[in-house]
This record gives sequence, C-alpha cells and structure tokens, in this order.
Amino acid sequence: MGPGLLGYTVRRLLWAVPVLFVISVVVFYMMRLAPGDPVDAILGQRYQEEQAALLRKKYGYDEPIHVQYIKYMQNLAKGDLGVSTRHQQFTVSEIIIPKIWVSTRLGAIALVISFTLGILAGIYAALARGTFLDPLTISFWLAIDAIPVFVAAPALMWLFALKLDLVGLGWRGFGSVNIILPIIVLSLPGTAGVARFVRASVLGVLQEDYVRTARAKGLQERTVVFTHIARNALLPLITVIGLSLPGVAGGSLIVEQLFGIPGIGREGFDAVLAPDFDVILALVLFGSFLFVIANILIDLLYAVIDPRIRLGAARG
Amino acid sequence: MSVAVAPEPVLTEGVSLSPRRRMFLALVRKKIAMLAIAYLAVFYFCGVFAPWVAPQDPYRQNLSAEARLQGPSSEHWLGTDRLGRDIASRVVYATRTTVAFTAVVLISGSLFLGLGLGLLAGYRGGWVDTLIMRVGEVMGGLPTLLLMLAITAAFRTRLNDVSFWLEDHTWLGDDARTVTKFGIIVFATVPFAWIGSTRIVRSQALAIREETYVAAAEAMGASTWRVIARHVLPGVMPLFIVGVSAGMAGTAGAEVTLSFLGLGIDPPTASFGSLIADGAGPQTLERFPHLLLAPAIPVALFFFAWNLLGDALVDLLSPRGQGLR
Repeated sequence: MGPGLLGYTVRRLLWAVPVLFVISVVVFYMMRLAPGDPVDAILGQRYQEEQAALLRKKYGYDEPIHVQYIKYMQNLAKGDLGVSTRHQQFTVSEIIIPKIWVSTRLGAIALVISFTLGILAGIYAALARGTFLDPLTISFWLAIDAIPVFVAAPALMWLFALKLDLVGLGWRGFGSVNIILPIIVLSLPGTAGVARFVRASVLGVLQEDYVRTARAKGLQERTVVFTHIARNALLPLITVIGLSLPGVAGGSLIVEQLFGIPGIGREGFDAVLAPDFDVILALVLFGSFLFVIANILIDLLYAVIDPRIRLGAARG
Repeated sequence: MSVAVAPEPVLTEGVSLSPRRRMFLALVRKKIAMLAIAYLAVFYFCGVFAPWVAPQDPYRQNLSAEARLQGPSSEHWLGTDRLGRDIASRVVYATRTTVAFTAVVLISGSLFLGLGLGLLAGYRGGWVDTLIMRVGEVMGGLPTLLLMLAITAAFRTRLNDVSFWLEDHTWLGDDARTVTKFGIIVFATVPFAWIGSTRIVRSQALAIREETYVAAAEAMGASTWRVIARHVLPGVMPLFIVGVSAGMAGTAGAEVTLSFLGLGIDPPTASFGSLIADGAGPQTLERFPHLLLAPAIPVALFFFAWNLLGDALVDLLSPRGQGLR
C-alpha cells in the first residue's frame, strides 16, 4: 500500500462522513416529524408517568429536534439504537441483529448461486458469439429476470408444494428443504445482470494479444478459457459483487414476506407500516454504512489485485 | 452448462464470419429488438388510449355469485375478479398507470435530473462534479426499497389532507386521491432514478469536453450553454438513451412493487401490482389461475421487452463489442 493509496482511502472515508451525516439528518427529521408522541407509541397501554419521563429524558423526545438528533447520535455511539414501538421488551439492536443474520446467510447462498450461474452463462454466451446460442442464452436470463418475484413465488409454491408436494411452504430454518424455493426466487433474477456483464467482459478480453499468444502456443482450449480469458475477464466483477453485498445483508422484503422468513427485509416493512421509527432509522443507517464500506473495499481490492490500477489519479 | 464448447467462433474472431452470416445475426438481434419495440408500442398505445381499448368499464362491479371470479368467457375475455369487474379492462387500465408512471419518472428523474446533473458534473467538473457524484454514489447505495417505503408511508399519513384540499381547490375532483398517491410514489422514486443516467452522461461529457471541436467552440467565444447544447448534448444522447432503456424495467417495477405491497396505486384504480396481489397465493392460483396470470403475463412481457431492447442497444453501441462485429 503506497502513500497514494493511503491518501485516497482517507479522502474517501472523509467524504463518507458528511454524506452519512446528511442522510442521517434527513431520515431522522422524516421519522421524528411524523404525527403522534413517540413515547405514547412505545409504551401504549402500559403507559406510566415515571417510565415515560425516563424515556423522554434518555432520548430527548420533548426537546427540539436538533437536540433529539444529538441525543440519538450520543446513544448510537454507545451502541444504543433506541426502542422499538412494537416490541417494548427488546431494544432495537436485539430485534434487528438476529434478523440481519438470517437475511445475510440466505442472501449469501443466493449470491453464490447467482454469480456461479451468471459467470458460466456469460462465458458461454461470449464464446458462442456468432451463433444463435449467444442471444438465446442472454435472452433466456433476461426473461427470467423479467418475471416479478411476487409472480414467480406463488407459481413455484403452487407447482412444488401443492402439485408435486416436494417441499413445504413454511419457514423451517436453514436445514429444511423448504429453503429451496426462496433460494430459487432470490438467486435466479440476478443472474441476467451478471451474465451480461461477464459476456461483455469476456468479449473484451478475447481480443487481447495474450489470448492469441496462448492459442498460438498450442495450449489446450480449456486452459486458455479458464486461465487466460476467465481470470482477466472476471476481475471487473469485483465491483458487481461488492456492490451487491449491502443488498445481501438487507434481505429481500417480498421474498421474506411471501415465504414467512424472519429476515430483516420483512422487519423493515413491518417497521414502516407500524411505524416503528427507531427501527427504520437504524436499518437505513446500517444500509448506508454498509454501502460506503463496500465501495471503499472494492477500490482497495482492485489496487491490491491489479497493480496497473492507480487510484487517486483522474477517474473517468 | 459446459463452458469449453464452441471454440470455433472464438478462433475466427470476426474475421472469417461471412458477411451474409454477419448480416443474418445482426438481423436476428434486430428482430428481437423489433419485437420488443412492437410490444412496447402496443403496451403504450393501450395505456394512452385505455378508455377506447378497454372492452368494458373497469370499475363496474357485479356482486352476484355467478358474476364474480369467473374464468375467461366470450363476455369477459380474461374473466372477472372478486367484485365481478372485468379483468381485461382492468389490465388495460393498469397499463395506463404504468405508462403514466414511466413517463413522469422519465421526464423528471432521467431527463431533468439525470441528464441535467450529468452534463453539469461532466462539463463543469471540479467541486460541482465531486459533489454530484458523491451524493449520487451514496444515494445509489441506500436501501432503496426501504427508503421508498418509508417516504411513502410518511407521506401517506397526510394523504387525506392533501387529497381533500386538491379536491376542493383544483379541477381534479374525484381523481385527486389517485393523483396524490401517484405523486407520493413519484416523489419516492425520483430521488433514486437519476443516478444511473447521471453517471453515464457525466463520463461521456468528460470525454467530449476534451475534444478539439469543443476547444475550438470555446476559443470562438461560444457560451457554456451553447457548447453544451450544440456539442456535448448530441454526443451524450446515444449512451443516455441506452442507459434509460436499460433501466426502464426497474423504474416501472418500482411502481408495481409498491402497489403490490399496498403502498402505491391501490384499488379501485387499476395497477399491475394490486391486480397481481389479488391473485398471488398458491391456493388462489390453484382455484382461480386467471387472477394472477391475466395481469402477470402482460407486465412480465413489458419488463422483458425493455430488458431485450436495452440489451440490444447496449450491444450495438458498446465499443468493445464492435471489434467482433
């Protein structure tokens, strides 16, 4: 890591601070300006004066909104994300962390499948350029991508659960076969994007001199494809993978809703409907933070992997 | 899926593809794009001229037992829903919702914000560029659906106030409620809709700014606006169009998803999202397949058509692909 790279990282991190600050202020105002007393919402029927006073003091609910914001940030620094209006006995972090963990594991499985299929399809389509198999492969995945999740899910549920009786419909954890359908609807739509990206990337690499050299040396086709073409063509995929990581942890609202998965996407939706302001706020801040981190990681990874890339210089 | 097949076209590398074969393939690709364009034309036509295309009144209910949840028949081509309304007509009116939504987001998000900010960032450069791109970068990384839901839910608490006010003070009348809901989802979508186009336009504008003809125009004293309008804009447009069409399915999908969740355009106004929500569910699908299939097939084809068109355009314009052509 040279001094240029370090400087670049520091600059990026410094940019992240004001941006995250603005996001948190905007979302905080949006949540706090909603009608109704948050303490009423949190305590509900079990409203007691002492408890209410305690909450008001800790989170500053009856103070001006900028004081509330400062208090929120002070509590955040201590790891206290506030209280949920729906589950009074739990803190926000107790609610969201297990659910983030469920969504993350599910999303990670789907991501691996999606990228494996996409990479294979993309390489295949690029190598089949000039035949009808190329547009056919890409069109197939684009068609899959065009089916909304909330159409595919009931159709698959009907076919595999009601007709064929191969899987059940409820959520039974990661060990059960019931996980297959959610995994399918989570992973297949993303494949088209990966396949198109890989195809374009492979087509670019095919024209490189080192591929011609490898062929001229009489290397086996398999060696050329996997060692010379795939290796170089897949490098730009780091960006795509990196950018999809925050989404993995964010879960998928609709899939979790339809399959009854206790994940963070569904939690966010319930929080929005309730409305459960501190949970929403925590999720938005968490998502934004993950994204900023992912972006910086991508850049650093490139710099480490590919010495040709010099960060901090003009970026087009 | 075997990867190591078809080494032959690789070895030829565009040189020994016969011109006829190349034309044939271009035609195949074009044919797909043409089909997509034809479908989109029909779709947009249905949306714009919905009152004339729809076979019946999409709002007329018939609650008698023999009129509700009927399968397709000569009277109701796509059957009827739970309230005995004609689904074919509701699907046609749903295309109207989608058409209006994509048009508004296209103009406000892509054209106004996307193209405008992209040109500004690319041509002005400096801190303006840095600011716009950093904001866009982080906006693009926010949990979009969650924020869209939060914005929608926050504004929906004031839905009644706004729609009653509009009803009393404007010519909207009974449409005020729908217009307000429409406004809310547009407002929730546009902040996230400009980022892609801005990025494309900016990088293109950056490249064009360095061209000699731009330097020449500047040397001759052309104003910034003139340089942008006469020299930068024409060069930016092709890639901008490609970017917009590639992102169109996602834009339209936002409204469908919000409506599916009950936070977008909801009944009685027809939207693909709420129509699908009516029929989604394995048991419902078993008993009344037309409830799900009638709206799902046209809207999936609509997304597919934009996907195909976007892909074909990207392929035609990408400088990398051209060498093989």
